[in-house]
Amino acid sequence: MKRRSSLTAIVATVAFAALALAGCSAGGTTSSGSSSGTGTTHLAGAPSWCGTKKIKLAQLDGFGGNSWRLVTTASGEDEVKKCASVTSYQYANGNGDTQKSISDIQAFTAKGIDAMVVFADAGQAMLPAIRSAYKAGVVVVPYRVEVGGTAGKDYTQFVGASFVNDGTNWGNWIKQQFPNGANMLFLSGPKGNSQGTDELKGLNSVLDSKYKYLNEAPYDVTNWDPALTQTVLTAEIAKNPKIDVIISDFGPSLVGALPVFQKSGRSIPALATSDGNALGCFWKANHAANPDFKLFTVATGNDNVRLAVDWAVAKATGGTPPSSSTFKAPVFEDSVSGQPNPVQCDSSLPGDIYLSAQLSKAQQAAAVNNK
Amino acid sequence: MLTDVMKRDTNRLTTSRLRVAPGFVAIAIATIALFSVGGVLAPSSISHSAIIGMVPFAAVLAIAGLGQMLVVQQGGIDLSVAGGISLAVVISTHEPAGDSSKLGSAILMAVAFALAAGLVNGILVSLLRLNSIIATLGMNALLYGAVFAVSGGTPRSTTALLAAVAGGSTVGIPNAAFFAVAALIVVSVLTKKTVAGRRFEAIGANPAAARAVGLRVRVHQTLSFVWAQLLYCLAGVLLAGITNQPTAFQGDSLLLPSVAVVVLAGTSLLGGRGFPISTVIAALFLLQLQQFVLALGVDTSVQTLVQAIALAVGVSLYSVNWSSVRRRLFVRKPTQAIPA
Repeated sequence: MKRRSSLTAIVATVAFAALALAGCSAGGTTSSGSSSGTGTTHLAGAPSWCGTKKIKLAQLDGFGGNSWRLVTTASGEDEVKKCASVTSYQYANGNGDTQKSISDIQAFTAKGIDAMVVFADAGQAMLPAIRSAYKAGVVVVPYRVEVGGTAGKDYTQFVGASFVNDGTNWGNWIKQQFPNGANMLFLSGPKGNSQGTDELKGLNSVLDSKYKYLNEAPYDVTNWDPALTQTVLTAEIAKNPKIDVIISDFGPSLVGALPVFQKSGRSIPALATSDGNALGCFWKANHAANPDFKLFTVATGNDNVRLAVDWAVAKATGGTPPSSSTFKAPVFEDSVSGQPNPVQCDSSLPGDIYLSAQLSKAQQAAAVNNK
Repeated sequence: MLTDVMKRDTNRLTTSRLRVAPGFVAIAIATIALFSVGGVLAPSSISHSAIIGMVPFAAVLAIAGLGQMLVVQQGGIDLSVAGGISLAVVISTHEPAGDSSKLGSAILMAVAFALAAGLVNGILVSLLRLNSIIATLGMNALLYGAVFAVSGGTPRSTTALLAAVAGGSTVGIPNAAFFAVAALIVVSVLTKKTVAGRRFEAIGANPAAARAVGLRVRVHQTLSFVWAQLLYCLAGVLLAGITNQPTAFQGDSLLLPSVAVVVLAGTSLLGGRGFPISTVIAALFLLQLQQFVLALGVDTSVQTLVQAIALAVGVSLYSVNWSSVRRRLFVRKPTQAIPA
């Protein structure tokens, strides 16, 4: 029964090593985002944030494994190309492994990189590495995920996204569509995520008590997982005979769940969310059969990285930093007013690209397809 | 004396034929109770739309659970269920990239990966005698490696064809349910009604005895992992169709439930008899439990607690030797005079 040979030991060792290496392949689905580098992108000549000093820049991702991240990465690279002073651009992907993300920062510091933009998925755990790079004289711009610390002491500048602003935009639209109040369902990611609570702040700053939340406070937990989203939505649909509007910070994850309304003989309700090609195409295909299905989206925020790059390049090359350090996602689609855009769908492209991003459709498709 | 023995044997045979597995009784009663309690406390949890929404996910869990059951029957545990499902999801969405005509070849590719993964698992465990937890954990990491290699971690939207087949419904019943029933029938018939299946269970119950009577223990053990991976593959392809816009890590949330349904169904973690029907019912139970706590509208933390308690109670029902507990707690030992 027991034939423990040295071969067994070798196989065990290899299996264990493989395990240790591939260990935590955490799936950080960052949902929605914010969008575009507002007003900092003058293509005529070099933009004002592009100074004259020659620098090397690195973009670091804590987790690069979803289409949103691929488009974001490509957007960062595209922004860098606008400034000829950046002589070298490099990218590193932490693959959801905090240890690797930290050693990426240390490696780039050791290699003499002048500036880095960091998507610090691990949050505060990244602060010591970020601080030591900053102390070593590197311009460090963490973006989108808060790392704690203070600008000028632990890093050069933090470029956050205003999720409160997203909530306010959704709230204003809901008020327009349902002036007499509405039954609302608000879905966000994991329990306690600050993106959801910020969005709720924005919503509540606009909506009064006529607008009723049907979800558990502060939001229904979906972990931004399409399967869980579907289960949660199914339960809410069964429980609530009247849902006027669904608010979600990850629009494309609803595509699988919305047909549940039709299966129970109801119209898909109004939707205030973030954009995605799959969602736009779903609306085009289904709005005729669902009279209440109105769609309003804010940009999903791939362009947040552009603002971070602008800051990093400005600080390192001696250019003028952008006026704002917070990325505010612009409104993208409104199926009712058609302003600023009617619903967008390009069925020739993958469902998981984001037409709200500045990056061209072709470049996005290339970024997603190359992987 | 001789007649006595004959009589006793006849009786035993009759009763064993009529006897229903205790796991089946427990899980069936629990599921019926859950639906009844749901009807009273949270009527929306048993409404048509809730059931229709729940059944596809229950079907996926049932299929994954059946795979896990086969491995557990051989005394193992398969932790590569997460990687196996995720890989099937990624291949069946990424490869066709929205083109329904390429779906067939993508599914064939997923099946090929499943066969390979199952075979390697089986060889590691049955021939090289690795502990199944270690071997399949390593395999899980390798499968996730394949997930990244195939897709860079980005599945696509499901093709229209797969969404219609896996996510659609026929005469009001979600199609995924038919797949689960088909898997159930195949697994039940193969393990209960074929010679190979009976050998398979005998080997699980006692590999040493099985080897002594000349059964091919290693082959059966290896095949349990292969069949398991094929079932995970089916579960993954269905899941890709049901969720439309899946992630690359869709299998993660099925790892523990797949073991839970096997245990809830009464299959011993030490191996031996499997209970396919109970496993499927247990999957229905777990998903309906989730619908129930969601319909109650309680806080997420309470939802998790309710699920955990239900699981603990369910498992303790037949994994704890209650009569011995009762004896120890309530029956006093006959007092004996202590020898001086």
